[in-house]
Amino acid sequence: MTSTIQDAPFYQPIGNECELFEHAFKHKLPVLIKGPTGCGKTRFIAYMAHKLNLPLYTVSCHDDLTASDLVGRHLIADNSTIWNDGPLTRAVRNGGICYLDEIVEARKDTTVVIHPLTDDRRILPIDRTGETLQAPDDFMLIVSYNPGYTNMMKGLKPSTRQRFISLSFDYLPAAQEQLVVEKETGADALLAQRLVALANALRNLKDQDLEEMPSTRLLVYTATLIIAGFDHVEACRAGLIEPLTDEPETIKALMEVVYAVFG
Amino acid sequence: MEDIVGQLWHKFISKVAYNGYPEQQVALADISNSLAVFFRAMGGNGGLKITEVNAFEHGAKQSLLQKIAGSGTHIELAWRDEDTLRLPAAIDVLPNVEQNRQLYFWLAALASIDDKPFEHLNWIGAAQAKTVAVLSQYPGLKKRYFELVALIIQHRPTLSKLKERDLAAEQAIRQALLEPGSVDRLPLSQRPPMPVMLWLNPNPPTKAKAKEASDDDDSSNDDDQSSSGKVKQSNNRKYQAEQQEEDSEQQKPSLLTVRHETDLFTLAEMFKLARSEDDDDDLDNASEIADDLDYLTISKDNKTRGSRIKFDLDLPAASDDDIALSEGSLFPEWHYKKNKLIKDHCCVIPMVSGHATPTPLPENLTRAARKVRRQFEALQAQRQWVRGLEDGSEIDLEAYINYCGERATGRLSAQPALYKHMLPGHRDLATLVLADLSLSTEASLSEETRIIDVIRDALFLFSESLCTTTDQFAIYGFSSKKRQMVRFTTIKGFNDKYDNRVRGHINAIRPGLFTRMGGAIRQATEILQKRPNAQKLLLLITDGKPNDLDQYEGRYGIEDTKAAIIEAKQAGLIPFCITIDRDAKEYLPYLFGSKGYAQIKDIQQLPSELPLLYAQLTGLY
Repeated sequence: MTSTIQDAPFYQPIGNECELFEHAFKHKLPVLIKGPTGCGKTRFIAYMAHKLNLPLYTVSCHDDLTASDLVGRHLIADNSTIWNDGPLTRAVRNGGICYLDEIVEARKDTTVVIHPLTDDRRILPIDRTGETLQAPDDFMLIVSYNPGYTNMMKGLKPSTRQRFISLSFDYLPAAQEQLVVEKETGADALLAQRLVALANALRNLKDQDLEEMPSTRLLVYTATLIIAGFDHVEACRAGLIEPLTDEPETIKALMEVVYAVFG
Repeated sequence: MEDIVGQLWHKFISKVAYNGYPEQQVALADISNSLAVFFRAMGGNGGLKITEVNAFEHGAKQSLLQKIAGSGTHIELAWRDEDTLRLPAAIDVLPNVEQNRQLYFWLAALASIDDKPFEHLNWIGAAQAKTVAVLSQYPGLKKRYFELVALIIQHRPTLSKLKERDLAAEQAIRQALLEPGSVDRLPLSQRPPMPVMLWLNPNPPTKAKAKEASDDDDSSNDDDQSSSGKVKQSNNRKYQAEQQEEDSEQQKPSLLTVRHETDLFTLAEMFKLARSEDDDDDLDNASEIADDLDYLTISKDNKTRGSRIKFDLDLPAASDDDIALSEGSLFPEWHYKKNKLIKDHCCVIPMVSGHATPTPLPENLTRAARKVRRQFEALQAQRQWVRGLEDGSEIDLEAYINYCGERATGRLSAQPALYKHMLPGHRDLATLVLADLSLSTEASLSEETRIIDVIRDALFLFSESLCTTTDQFAIYGFSSKKRQMVRFTTIKGFNDKYDNRVRGHINAIRPGLFTRMGGAIRQATEILQKRPNAQKLLLLITDGKPNDLDQYEGRYGIEDTKAAIIEAKQAGLIPFCITIDRDAKEYLPYLFGSKGYAQIKDIQQLPSELPLLYAQLTGLY
């Protein structure tokens, strides 16, 4: 997916991540971003792409993503085949940010492809066409992953990890998260504050009752429903509770927490 | 005849005098899971467990009918300490089920508030301050709170029937309920006022009881006569038993020397009685006696201490022991001081339980087992495309392109494989679970559970979930007594089918002796090495450090275990450790690497965590 970002996306910086990112770009260093689902990784990159005025090539990695999905493949045409660049190759040819989301999900051969791009060579060899592309100065590689998901069979290899400047993301402190919900949805301060309080109550349940914590993204969804006129409690059920668990008993208990906040 | 009439009358009058709605009752057991989640979400400590509180005599005025019926003397008030949240076993004071349920959730919310900021307040001040804290943090509860207050007030003594000081106290309580934060102190009353079910017990029995018992103990050190109490298990009622600890430095003035105004709702004292051993015959009645007491106090006693604690490190009698399958095989051991591997230093004896009988899955686990099985079945559904097939559901474009290319250049393969097909994901994984069955697993976690019971449940759920997958697994347990004997018990071999016979072997695991990890890991490595699978996982479940009677402790044990783990890695295995030891951070990163172990914080969670951890580790997720 390629996009040139028109309007500046809203992003709430929390530390020095923007400066670090800019430095990494200036010095042609690749960046690794880790953090839980929906905490703003993708938004941060969109924001930075806009700030640096770069096109953004996003690839959401999945189990079946192979190196050729990144690099490109031959397509059938009339009695012939045509080489079609993959998103990584396009970014290397034209410059811009190539963002590999959830890199650990991809097959192992993909990491082999990105290795030569992450050291000082900054090259992309394409076996099938016999080309070796030299990345331009405004090319930047970014990968992200969610450390909560990693397992032994499918982790990021230390040798891959060590090729990146790494930034760690987490959910925002309550005040900032409230601000994000307000800005994103136009919710009033009271609603945003209660939603954030609810989310933080639910985040207490991580590991013990819930596999994953409710994300800022879910809060934004829920606030959107409420602003559109949905009943608070029902909006929370659909936007916040049901996405978190399938256990009827846990849902019941979590709804009690919703009642406690929205009554 | 008189008896029957008496019983009928008692039944009748009790029913008439009963101040509640038994048909609208909500039982704690039915909603304790939801309550626990709610409590934790409100910020309550995740390690707390929820149990039933027992009733105590409140001493407040009864109604006339209650007096006649002899009922209404006791009340159950919720309270919380460091590790338990105690709630009434059932609530039926309010006129409908939903309201009774709400009362439970309100109490859980109240209990989730930290006590610290309110310690300087008197009890009624603290109760109101906590109420205010809950309401401001969770504004949604306001409406419900005031609904509950209105209903609860109807249950309180009628104002017109109270006199002077009792009336003033009752009015103060009502005001405190209706306008929390507005009452500084409770006026002195003649009788203790009726306790408030919407508040937590202001004087939970633990501290007071322990204190009384310790006072008693101190003064009777030279007392030759001893008393001892055994608690007979009863299903009807839970006893609050307080284990009294030796904390003489923390002596505070005895409970009775301070005037706690209205705090003192109850008094159940522990007396040391000179009872001869013959009285033990009475133990059958003990549960009845215990029912009549508000609290049971268990105190350390200078006489019976030794005889009551069984700490026997000798081997079980031959008739009761497991069966050794062979004389054992010898394994080396790493001596870190000599910096060398000592050959044939440790003897591992394969054993099998001699008293395992086929058993079905314990009933208390069926629900959890169903849940993990369902989860694992869903995980199994992961499928992937297999390319380059001669027949399949879709055209394999890549193969087709290559085929076209080949055809264009005149090279033709006889049978082009141009299709792809979705096939179930292929895994080729063997897992060996090695459970530490050392004596330390005998330690109790609660009145009914020992660590070994949790490990047993964990092994059950692990097996239940794994048998829905294609992954192969085996379970072994180990314990040791010096280097001559590392008992390596087969619970389930790789080739055994998981059935009631294996369940019987899981059921039969018992705490053994010590923890000579190195030898056991080497034996497990040897077994796993022989497996033909592509990936091999060695999963060690333990509750502590390696140790044994001889030099195998401290550094020696750690270093040998580390050496055994390195050998396992070299053999192509993936060793992983799951521990319940709180101090695991001190040594496990050294043994297994920072990513090579998982620490289960709440031991009780081990059974449900183990299958999930496995799924995560092996990429089922």
